[in-house]
Parts: sequence; structure tokens; C-alpha cells
Amino acid sequence: MPLPKNERIAADHLAGLYRKAAERFESLPAFATREKALAWKPVSFRELYEQGLDLATGLIDLGVEAREHVGLFSDNRFEWMLTDYAVQFCGAVDVPRGRDVSDPELEYIIEHAGIRVCFVETEVLQNRLLRLKNRLPGLSRIIVLDPKARLKEGASSLQEVMADGARLRKQGDKRVFDRIESIRPDDLFTLIYTSGTTGRPKGVMLTHANMTSQIRNLPGIHNPNDRILSVLPIWHVFERVIEMYTISFGGCTYYSNILTLGEDMKNVEPTFMASAPRLWQKIHEKIIQGVKASHPVRQVLFHIAYFLSRQYRVSEYFLTRKQLKINKTPRWKLSLLYPFHLLRWLIVLPWYGFFNAAVLERIRLSAGGSLSATISGGGALPIHIDRFFNYVGIPVLEGYGLTETSPVISVRSKRNLVVGTVGPPLPETRLRIVDVETGQTLFPNRELDHQGRSLRGEIQVQGPQVMKGYYREDELTSLAFEDGWLRTGDLGMVTHNDCLKILGRSKATIVLSSGENVEPEPVEMRLQQSQYIDHCMVVGQDQKSLGVLIVPALEAFRQNGSPTATLADLAQNDKAREIIRREIRSLISISGGFKKYELIRDFRLLGRSFRVGHELTNLFKIKRHVVNREFEGDIQHLFKNQSKKSR
Amino acid sequence: MEFPSQLLYAQDQALLAVMIFVIMLGMGASLTPDDFRAVARSPRGVFIGFLSQFGLMPLIALGLSIVLGLHPAFAIALILIGCLPGGTTSNMFTYFSRGSVALSISMTTASTVVALFMMPILLTLYTGRFTAQISETMRAAGAETDFVIPTGNIISSLVLVLVPVILGMILRKKSPGWAKTAEDTAGFVAIMVILYLLLTAFIRHGSLFLQTPIQVYIATIGLGMAGFFFGYWFSRLLGMYPLFQRAISLETGIQNGPVSFAIILLSFNQPVQSQMLWLAILYSTFIVMTSSVITLYFRRKGRFDWDIYKNTQIHNRLFGKKFVTNYPEGFLPHRLKTDPSQGTSPVQKRE
Repeated sequence: MPLPKNERIAADHLAGLYRKAAERFESLPAFATREKALAWKPVSFRELYEQGLDLATGLIDLGVEAREHVGLFSDNRFEWMLTDYAVQFCGAVDVPRGRDVSDPELEYIIEHAGIRVCFVETEVLQNRLLRLKNRLPGLSRIIVLDPKARLKEGASSLQEVMADGARLRKQGDKRVFDRIESIRPDDLFTLIYTSGTTGRPKGVMLTHANMTSQIRNLPGIHNPNDRILSVLPIWHVFERVIEMYTISFGGCTYYSNILTLGEDMKNVEPTFMASAPRLWQKIHEKIIQGVKASHPVRQVLFHIAYFLSRQYRVSEYFLTRKQLKINKTPRWKLSLLYPFHLLRWLIVLPWYGFFNAAVLERIRLSAGGSLSATISGGGALPIHIDRFFNYVGIPVLEGYGLTETSPVISVRSKRNLVVGTVGPPLPETRLRIVDVETGQTLFPNRELDHQGRSLRGEIQVQGPQVMKGYYREDELTSLAFEDGWLRTGDLGMVTHNDCLKILGRSKATIVLSSGENVEPEPVEMRLQQSQYIDHCMVVGQDQKSLGVLIVPALEAFRQNGSPTATLADLAQNDKAREIIRREIRSLISISGGFKKYELIRDFRLLGRSFRVGHELTNLFKIKRHVVNREFEGDIQHLFKNQSKKSR
Repeated sequence: MEFPSQLLYAQDQALLAVMIFVIMLGMGASLTPDDFRAVARSPRGVFIGFLSQFGLMPLIALGLSIVLGLHPAFAIALILIGCLPGGTTSNMFTYFSRGSVALSISMTTASTVVALFMMPILLTLYTGRFTAQISETMRAAGAETDFVIPTGNIISSLVLVLVPVILGMILRKKSPGWAKTAEDTAGFVAIMVILYLLLTAFIRHGSLFLQTPIQVYIATIGLGMAGFFFGYWFSRLLGMYPLFQRAISLETGIQNGPVSFAIILLSFNQPVQSQMLWLAILYSTFIVMTSSVITLYFRRKGRFDWDIYKNTQIHNRLFGKKFVTNYPEGFLPHRLKTDPSQGTSPVQKRE
């Protein structure tokens, strides 16, 4: 008998999605907010829809126009979703940002996006915005989400606006339905300002069609029995797409947070979760600590179980063609390996079965026990964490995307779970890999072996999820595209089983593991002011803090009386290291205008200089990917030290 | 058929004794006094389980013995296994087959106690024709006495087996950490010892596997399978929820193998002892495999009703006891709506 396995609501725009979800799922809980560990407050699809209509009518009455930009500065909470419902019903566009938005950013975004009506989460935020208000002549209305906030003059509460709207609707106000009618798929639904450390934030314009394509194309089988635990900030498009997707199949989103996550996982027993690498790292640490604290006999059992599981999985991946295929393996080799893996799989199977049931199930229970899959995005998941979760039986589906692609470009599915990759591109999405230096298309390219698989270059994308552009930044928009393809700025390759593997960034931006984006050039330019530094390159992608590779200026040290002959000698010289350390400290400081996360925690003196044509272009610009490759050992060493120091 | 008069050496018997002790200790360590009280909370489920375990299963064993024309020693062993109480293995398989673990544990505890008087009664009732056959053969060989089922010994072996169970429960009370370890190790030890016994049997009496009549294989595999099948349909026709159907099915098919070893070693003499033991070893081996397969099947089949059960349970846990989960029209498949086992709406009727 056919089970309704993968029902998803299809709609042209989000307002339509919200309406259809209410009609289909009615009193099922859509969102739940934690009050106490075992007391959560649910809101049904129907309630959310009706309240959304009320609030929308209130907003229309306040004069919010269709396609108008409405500010929404708040962290995850039910009222966020309610506001989003209302803004979409108005046919307007929300401009979301978290509670931690800084004053200059607030000012810039409101001014640049032309925001007239602005929702803020808390009393504090209300006060901050009121202080800025005289510099923002366009801003006419502040609405506070938190029902407990004490309102100041010039601000109204969300409940008030909603109550007004409800009254109007009772009196027969149907304007909101006309608005919903007039929404076109090509209209914006959100304008997300991405944080940049240098330069201005850029407003990414995403349309209803962008989002509905994601809902349509994300892999996975879900239904109203699914429980989704939410921890990521909703104003990140990654979390947002997961919540929209959850609405489309009638699942319930439970709002958790980092502090109560462990407890909530056990109580909510989520079936699905989306999170960033940092969180998986934390959960991994916790599990390992739990194992270490357990009875010695059980520790041994765990290690046996993990060992067996690894053997089993590796063979399983081989037999089901899910192993990482960076290079084409010759057929004769495969035919030799096949019987080996089959034999190993069969031998390990009963043992794995037993230990999986007796030991690994306990590990899975610490994550609630019902997780059928988890999705990781927003940064590179360290391979050992990736393997760990997949081996203990919690499938981690790593995905890849940018805010500009709303955001998923590719993601692993359970059928396509190739550890070490970010899976195949979504349906309707086309990828190409372009050589960074020559601009030649490497993949797909019929003239190259295997159509250019396993060749490294910049990833470029076309598809229904690609943004309309940057708001009021035509020049930046045209730079972001190359003959109709969005340049992701990331380096990658396509493996032989057609999955995408991310290899780093070709854009200079460094994303720290905390999620901060750092532009290295300003830091490097400042460092090069030192007479002792010839070249330098800031590194730290996916690390806790920045480090720098330095080619010391040999001449300067010689003049200073250091009798060193070569760079290799100098690299070992403690006195030289001390000089450089002092230089870095004085040049890159908070008082010198740098932010805390831009400070250099450690450095490494290189044993040889950068060479033109290799690490440097003819114009002496650093080719970052080349340096990353050539000095891989040094970079690893740098961060090995760093993690020791930080402990 | 020439059967080795000495299937197990002294050291193997000692090993077996240790294994029985460890497994029963592990079983005890997984139990709490509350599990006994839980029996009273779901009397219907436990009663249907009881009917299935002590009503159906011995009859299945008897039927198989007659239909397959088993040698009387094998037949007695098969019926003995058919009359056994359930073990902790069934709880684990029930867990993974998305069945009701609470019911499984209740049935295990109840049947272990009930077995003290049910086993002797059932054995005497069902093995009459086979003991007569053995007595005849013995008299033909010049023996003076009749072969009888050693009822007293069986009861005392059962009591003896309960000692480590009680020790395990005490351990659980004193040191939960050790109890957990005992629980984890027990299953592992059982598998190791069974494998060891199979391996040594293979090395010492390699031809035994070939000599064993095909009927014995059919009987040992078939007993468990028939138990699963009839247990499932019996409980389903009596209108139990799918969750309980799966628990009762597994509980019926999976018997407490180690208890049969103890009874056979302590209560029966040669020449029948070796044959009975061999059948018990074969049953214990095959039941692990068949229940794994059945568990995988149940797990897949039960996925949907389990998800519904779990989701509504969590809704009640987080949103309060009064919260009612109403699934959209057409979401609950026909099976779950009209199945007599489901009662009215499964959404409202929960464990």
C-alpha cells in the first residue's frame, strides 16, 4: 500500500505556501517554543496563518506597500516567523538580521534598503534604534516583537498591530488577499545583507522563485511526523530554507539554542536537524567525553564497535559506489578490490549488527535516537567529524551553497552519501568548474579526459536558486556573474561519481570557524608596512583565529646585525621570531582599527620566498591557492601550535 | 543415527555454566522491581503474550515434531524449547523492530515466573508419546526402568537459573554502572559461547552437521519462524496495536536458550542429553539469524506507525497530556485506520 512518503506543498510563492500549509495541515503544530525543558508552546499551521493575516492587515493599514522593504532585526523566535508570514502576505520584502547587529550596520542597512517600517526583537534594540532615528529620516515605524518589552514613544508592539488588523478583518477588510493575489514568483521575498569586514554589507536579492525551487529540489523524504530542532540563526538563509522546507511537508520546528541543545535533543527527539560544523564538533566532543567517562569495559566495547562499523561502512561505500572517487580507478583494480570488500562486508556484517545494536545505539540515543539525517552547512565539516557521525549511524548530509544561491547548490542525499564531498548538485542546477588562471572551462568539457572530472577550479553555478543580484549595486552584481554564471569564489572539483568536492576558496575572504568573514588584504597590507616583512599571507579558513605566513626581509635583518645567511636559517632564529612578533603586535591591534577577530594569533616564518610565476603573479599579487598548496605543512604546523596555546 | 555420546567435554560444560550465569545476571541487571509492577499495568498484553507463549508455542513444537517425525530425544528437546520462557534477547530485538519494549520486558518477567509451574505441566502433557518410545528402546536394550520427564529436576534447575537473575537485580540496585556493563556484556558473551560451541562441535565431530537429519534443521529454524508468524497474527486478530503485535511476535518466537541448556544439563542423562543439547544449540544459533531478519522486516514495516506513535507521544510530552494530534485527511493509510488492531484512531489511543 502506498504511504504518503514525500508529500511537499508546491506553491509559486511563499504566501501561497503558507496558505496551502494551513489548509492541508490545519491544527498540526508548525512551530514550538521552549518555556521549560518539558513545557513547550506549539503554534499550529492554521493559527500561524490566521495571525499572519491579521498582522499583515495591520501592516497594510499602516501603509506598508507591496514590494516595500521591511526591516526585521531579531533572533529565532515564534514572532519572527509570524512577522515573516505577515510581510509575505503583504507582498512586501523582509530585510532580516540578528539581534547582534551593530549600530553602523543597522544604520547602513536601513538607509540603503530604504526601510520605513522596522521590526525589532527587544527593548534594547528598540532603544538603540530610537537613538539612531534622527539620522534615519525615512524610518517611520518601529514595531517590537517581544511582548514583555516596555515600549517607548515612537514604537508600537506587534500585538497591537495584529489586534488592529484582526479588528479590520472582522469588519470585512480583504485587502490582504488582493496582495497575495498580486505576488509574482519573480518578486523578492527577502533582502539579506551579508556581513563584510571591509567595505559595505551587500544586499542579496532573493525571489520567491529562488526559495520555492529549493523547497522543490531538496532531497529527502519527510512527512508531518518529522520534528526539526532549530539552533542556527533564522536570518541565515540556510536555516530559513530548512524552516520553509519543513513547512512544506508539515513538520514541526522546535526552537532550541546552544545552551539547552543537549537537553532538547533528548526531549524533542528530532528526526532531522540542520547545523553548522562548529556544532557537530561540539556534539562530537561531548560524545567522546561521555565514552571516556564510561566504564572501562564499555569503552572497550565502544572501540570495538567503532572499528567494526568503520570496516563495514568503508566496504559498504565501496560496494554501493559511495567512496570518494577523486581519481579514476582502473577497472582491473576495481575488479580486484570488489571481492575483497564483499568478503569483508559479509564477515563483518553479523559482528557489526550486534555491536551496532548493543553499543552504537546508545551513542545515537544521546542525540535523541530518532535522527534519520542531519544536514551540515555554512562551512567545511572536518573530515574526521564527518566520518565519525556517519560511522556511528547518524547520516550527516553535508551541503554547499552561498547566500547568493538561497543557499543550497549541492547536498548529499542518503542515496548519494559520499563522505568528503558535498554531494551532487540539486536538480535544475548546473555547475561548471573554471580554471582560475586561464578562465578555461574544465568541467564539463568534452575535450578533456572524463569531461574534466577531478580537475580543480572555481565553481560557477546556474540555476533557479541563483539570486537576482545585489540591491543597488549593479557593478558588484556584474562582477559576481560571468556570462550568466554566478562565480562562487570557491575552488572545487567534480568527483568521478559526480559529487562536488570543495577545495578551498579562490576569493580571498577567510571564514573563521566562528563564522566571521575576514578580508585578508587590509591586514596583509598593514603588515607589509614593516621593514622586516617581505611578503605575507594571512590564513585561517575554518580555524578559530587568524595566522600569518611570513617571508622575512633578509636584507633588513642583515642590516640589523643578524648574521643569518638564508631564509631557512632565519626561520629558526629565535631573535628574528621575537622581532616579527613585536612587529605584528604593534601593526595589527584593536587601537589600530582592527577588529578582535582580525588579530593575528600566531605566525610562521617561511624557509623560502614566494616566486613570481608560482606563488606570485607577474604583478606580485599572491596566488593564495598556490601558497596554500605549497606551504600546506607550514599552515598545519601554525594551527597545531595555535590549538595548543588556546587550551 | 550414531550420535556422539559425549557432545560436550567437562570444560565446555563449565563454560556453558558460566555463560548461563552471565546471561541470567545480565537479564537480572536489566530488570527493576517496577517491571514486575508494569505487568499489572498492561494485563491484556501480557495475557495475550502468555497465551501465545505457553499456548501456541508448545503446540507448534509438538506439531513440528509429529509432522517431521523427529527422533524422540529431539522431539522432547524441541517441546522443551517450545515451553521455555522468554529471554532478554527478545527485548533487544523488540527495541530494534520498533515494538513495545515495555510489553516485551513485562512478558519476559511474567513468563520467567510462570514457567516454574507451566513448564513441568506442559512437558508432561505433550511429551507422553515420545517418552514411551524412548522407554521402549531402553527396555529393548535391557533397561529396567521407564524414561520419565524429570519434573522435579526441571523445577529445581529453573529455580537455580533464577538465582543469578535475582543477583543481577540486586547488582542493579547497588551499582547501576556495573549493571549496565553486565547487561552489555551478557549478549556478547552469549554469542561468543554459542560460536565456540559450534566451532568445537565442528572440529571434534565434523560429521555431526551432516549426520543431523534435515528434519532437525527444519524443526529448529521452523520453530522460531512459526512462533513469529503465529504470535503476530494471533495478537493482530485479537486487536492489539502494531507496536504490541511486533513485541508479542518476537517474544513468542524467541525463547530463553540458556535456560534450556541449564535444564538439559541438570535434568537429563545420556543418551538423550547430547541429542537434546545439540538441538538446543542449533535452535539458539538459528534464532539469532531468523530474528535479525524478522527484526529488519518489522523495522521497515513498522516505520510509519512507529513514527506516528513517537510523534504523538512527544507532542504529549512537550505540549501537555491534553494535546491532540490531528493528522491531515489521507495521511494515515487505510491500513492504520481500518485495521481491527488499531481500534479507532491510533492518534487518540496510545500506550
